[in-house]
Amino acid sequence: MNLIWAWGHPEVYILVLPAFGIFSEVVSTFSGKPLFGYRSMVLATMAICILAFMVWLHHFFTMGAGADVNAIFGIATMIIAVPTGVKVFNWLFTMYGGRIVYASPILWSIGFMVTFVLGGMTGVLLAVPPADFVLHNSLFLVAHFHNVIIGGVLFGAFAGYTYWFPKAFGFRLHEGLGKAAFWCWFVGFYLAFMPLYVLGFMGMTRRMQHYDVPEWHPWLLLAAAGAAVILTGIGLQVAQLVVSIRRREQLRDVTGDPWNGRSLEWSTASPPPVFNFAVLPNVEGEDAYWGIKQRAREQAVPAADPDYEAIELPRNSPTGFICAFFATFMGFALIWHIWWMVALAFLGAFATFVVFAWRDRTEYLVPADEVARIDRAHRRAQLAAQPAR
Amino acid sequence: MSAASHSASHAGSHALGGSPSKRVVVGYGFWIFLLSDIVMFSAFFASYAVLVDQTAGGPSGKDLFDLNSVAIETACLLLSSFTCGVASIGARAHNNLMYYGAMALTALLGAAFLTLEIREFAGMVAQGAGPTRSAFLSAFFTLVGCHGLHVTAGMLWLLTMMAQVFAKGYRADILRRVLCFSLFWHTLDIIWVALFTVVYLFGAAR
Repeated sequence: MNLIWAWGHPEVYILVLPAFGIFSEVVSTFSGKPLFGYRSMVLATMAICILAFMVWLHHFFTMGAGADVNAIFGIATMIIAVPTGVKVFNWLFTMYGGRIVYASPILWSIGFMVTFVLGGMTGVLLAVPPADFVLHNSLFLVAHFHNVIIGGVLFGAFAGYTYWFPKAFGFRLHEGLGKAAFWCWFVGFYLAFMPLYVLGFMGMTRRMQHYDVPEWHPWLLLAAAGAAVILTGIGLQVAQLVVSIRRREQLRDVTGDPWNGRSLEWSTASPPPVFNFAVLPNVEGEDAYWGIKQRAREQAVPAADPDYEAIELPRNSPTGFICAFFATFMGFALIWHIWWMVALAFLGAFATFVVFAWRDRTEYLVPADEVARIDRAHRRAQLAAQPAR
Repeated sequence: MSAASHSASHAGSHALGGSPSKRVVVGYGFWIFLLSDIVMFSAFFASYAVLVDQTAGGPSGKDLFDLNSVAIETACLLLSSFTCGVASIGARAHNNLMYYGAMALTALLGAAFLTLEIREFAGMVAQGAGPTRSAFLSAFFTLVGCHGLHVTAGMLWLLTMMAQVFAKGYRADILRRVLCFSLFWHTLDIIWVALFTVVYLFGAAR
């Protein structure tokens, strides 16, 4: 029990911290401002990383570790709200005074801020051991963790998916359907999960096979209606992908910078060439690409061609995939004690690894001419898209 | 492509004094892997420390551990770390006798360590003190067995590295692998020192 949660609690922060990073990128890009309090953001992340390892016991307050131990872990859990609060304020101050473009990535981010703060507050409530004795294993808990995981991780994943889709595939996703999907998800989430908080207070426990309490019924119907609205949101997301692929020529991202971005990935073409950057960019601070664009605007003449050099790249290899294939069989065979399969699968994985290690050429060279040709085409596309002065 | 390999591929061509050599980048990356491995071992050490007294009426460490055998195991592993160091020097100097000789010695010492450990485990299981007997023994077999599995994997790696040098010679990328292997082997030694102290010495003294 201790081992699984000593892993399991840090794991939920492994889920949400990358989502926090996505929100930081999205909020600053669509507010047209640098991220507020960058250093405090980094410190808050590190504080969450450390505290994440010191709270696992709150998953089983009711198992009788004693009042002292429960109190320590309860307080440690509440303290996590402090660095998380720092982050929320930083995002709000980033938006404050900015010229906000309400594209769908920032809709997901704003939806996240509202929803996650709510989920965080019910989390602090659950961190109070006496309250946890009442709410443990009830639908209140179920509502809490869906509140933070849907409102935090899932909204973050959707924001990042919409934001970086053009960078990865060369065309944007359909905005109208994206916004419609967001509103279905947002409204559907509240309809589906707020009733669960109420039901938790009414004494409904989780994982019930059936129930015979008439008072719960209307709330569960409401939750089911919310689930249907979320389902509509999922349907709209599938439609968005299909429509976007069919209209990819109209949605094509020719400049590689569809959102007027601030970080360096937006200086490359969409999708980026295999070597990413034709020459190593010189980075002097945060928002490096924003600085490059500002200087270009001030000088009003296109920068001279850089000195292109040949770039060495690692050769692609399916080794990881094939090893994972054998390792999956090995894991299965170990669980069911099928020893011949263990030996065979291990041999397969090891042989794949040795074949990989025996390669004589692990890298290849993209010649300078080729680098120059690809990069010049991208620079022409960037220049052509600039508004006439 | 990652920024690290990008900067590594430009090493030498840019005289900005910045880009570290591939040997440094590879060694650093491998250190990060080793640190994550050590994090896993710390979790097993912690669970062992918590469960060491939960013998469920079964045998404790004092009844089971044979310090003479464990002392020989320790000597084998510590000596193998020395021979592994000699092998690294031999590889750098392109000295065949030194490299192959020291690697073979390392393999022999590793095999001796594993033989003794397997004999110890088999003896415990034979007297009914297997991993299912008590929480203490579950934690013991997980922690010590995990180290043993690492040594087994290290042995396979060791033999592969001997074959690689034999087939490909002292190429730069092969030498980087020898470096990673020696880092791995020394780390197993460090973990064994902690294991020897926490599990066997403390266990026999209780």
